Amino acid sequence: MPLAPSDDQITIDALTWDPYPIYRRLRAEAPILRVNSIGRTILTKAADTRAVKDDPARFSSNDPTTPMARAFEAHTLMRKDGEAHMAERMAMAPTFSPKNLKTLWVPAYEKVLNDYLDRLPRDEVVDLFPALAGPLAARVLALILGLPGASDEDLQRWSQALIDGAGNFGYADEPFERVAKANKEMNALLEARVPQVKAAPDQTALSVMVNADRPIPMSQIVSNIKIAIGGGINEPRDALLTILFGLLTNPDQREALMESGEWNLAFEEGVRWVAPIQVSGRVALEDVEMRGVTIPKGDVVMTVQASANHDEELFDHPERFDVFRKKASHQSFGSGPHHCLGTHLARQTIGRIALPTIFERFPNMELVDPSKVVWKGFGFRGPLNLPVRLNG
Amino acid sequence: MTRITFITADGAETTVDATVGDSVMRVARDANVPGIAAECGGAKMCATCHVYVDEAWFDRVGAAPEDEQDMLEFAASEARETSRLSCQITLSPDLDGLVVHLPESQI
Ligand code: HEM
Ligand code: HEM
Ligand code: FES
Repeated sequence: MPLAPSDDQITIDALTWDPYPIYRRLRAEAPILRVNSIGRTILTKAADTRAVKDDPARFSSNDPTTPMARAFEAHTLMRKDGEAHMAERMAMAPTFSPKNLKTLWVPAYEKVLNDYLDRLPRDEVVDLFPALAGPLAARVLALILGLPGASDEDLQRWSQALIDGAGNFGYADEPFERVAKANKEMNALLEARVPQVKAAPDQTALSVMVNADRPIPMSQIVSNIKIAIGGGINEPRDALLTILFGLLTNPDQREALMESGEWNLAFEEGVRWVAPIQVSGRVALEDVEMRGVTIPKGDVVMTVQASANHDEELFDHPERFDVFRKKASHQSFGSGPHHCLGTHLARQTIGRIALPTIFERFPNMELVDPSKVVWKGFGFRGPLNLPVRLNG
Repeated sequence: MTRITFITADGAETTVDATVGDSVMRVARDANVPGIAAECGGAKMCATCHVYVDEAWFDRVGAAPEDEQDMLEFAASEARETSRLSCQITLSPDLDGLVVHLPESQI
């Protein structure tokens, strides 16, 4: 079979600022396309993205061509497959058990949320990105990981440094220097925390990994904590901001949910509408035939779940935010062996607590000017700002 | 060869051939039975492979262990006594003819 068609027109800039019209065109015209500017083959149809992620035997997560290992100073679970991946994933999984969610993390989230809502200024315009969504995501993560001493500012700075370092495909110096400094600070913090959780074990991710009967190596514990810092803040932050934007620009839907209390619908629709993680990369381990083309062994494919979530075969008017749309599976949490460990946590906290609490406390909240909200991101996507008046 | 029958919430039946040793989830996915999302691929992490085991079969399949019951609380459709995660039901010869009911929704 022939190779997939290739493209020289699509730029990283275009994918970063306004990807959805591009994906719509590709779903119709070239659902498997080699995009030269990013050096990868992108898949934009829901059936294809799911098939790749569910097939780790032929599509590995171990993409050696990303700067991720250098940024993390290690290989992390996200990039591993099979047994090695499961060992590390299961090391952290007990923290996320349904019982811990219910008895520990959901109550902790409620408390932090209410404290952070209390301190928002009432009679001026507030940007909910820095004033609420960022710090809330950071604080909750700190509690779950077992890093209560880390400040919201440090956590957000480390997270951004890791993301910029791991995304530093140009191998520029500055991001690597910034992430090296962040690594030093995180290492110091973890070194101090390990004896403490050994002395007083709890259900936090650090403690569960350190105190396991057969612990994974310390270096892997450290890198897993780092990946959770790098990847556990921006998705809940961006999901919350995206859903708030959707509800604030669709007052009829917001009204209806105020009545019905089905805030979980807003959660699912928000993460479908703009997936906080838009793409997942995999490497073909052998020649694979799909949709009439051959994906050659060694090719790096980007499965675009953002596009899968807008696939016209599953969703009518996918570009609309519509909490009452006909249910269909979105892929915002991935699928297969790397399926998000934080899925239920995010669902329970954002969908069942944050949304009702925020709209009950601020029933007249208004977006200052929807056209001023800036959206950005090819890998991770969300609004960069969300200026509102809390009391309308 | 064993056979499994899936019955959707609105009563549509699909019967498929299955191999001993496979999970009920895997059988459903391989045969494209609609109504099993199985997002985590069988890791007991997603609760999108929820089924209600038919009353007549429940004794043979057995109730969900405690950790599975905890996860079932996150299922989109209400968990009942006969609820199981289908990725955790492994087919044995004595499950030939098994009947499971699909919930209204997995998401
Ligand atoms: C909870 C943690 C994280 C999750 C769930 C997550 C998820 C993802 C997903 C879904 C992708 C798409 C491609 C792939 O799987 O290779 C991805 C890629 C990527 N992630 Fe992670 N990530 C996490 C943490 C991080 C962190 C901490 C960083 C940065 C420091 C990072 C940097 C990247 C980069 C740069 C890519 C693009 C790689 C490529 O082009 O192949 N991720 N991540
Ligand atoms: C709305 C919020 C979130 C979204 C949309 C999201 C999305 C995702 C996606 C798409 C992946 C799959 C990566 C791949 O296929 O390569 C993933 C993996 C992961 N997520 Fe999440 N995530 C969210 C929240 C969280 C939170 C709060 C945590 C932790 C505190 C978390 C922890 C993880 C981890 C550890 C993985 C890696 C699992 C593995 O490789 O086995 N996520 N997430
Ligand atoms: S497939 Fe996810 S719990 Fe069964």
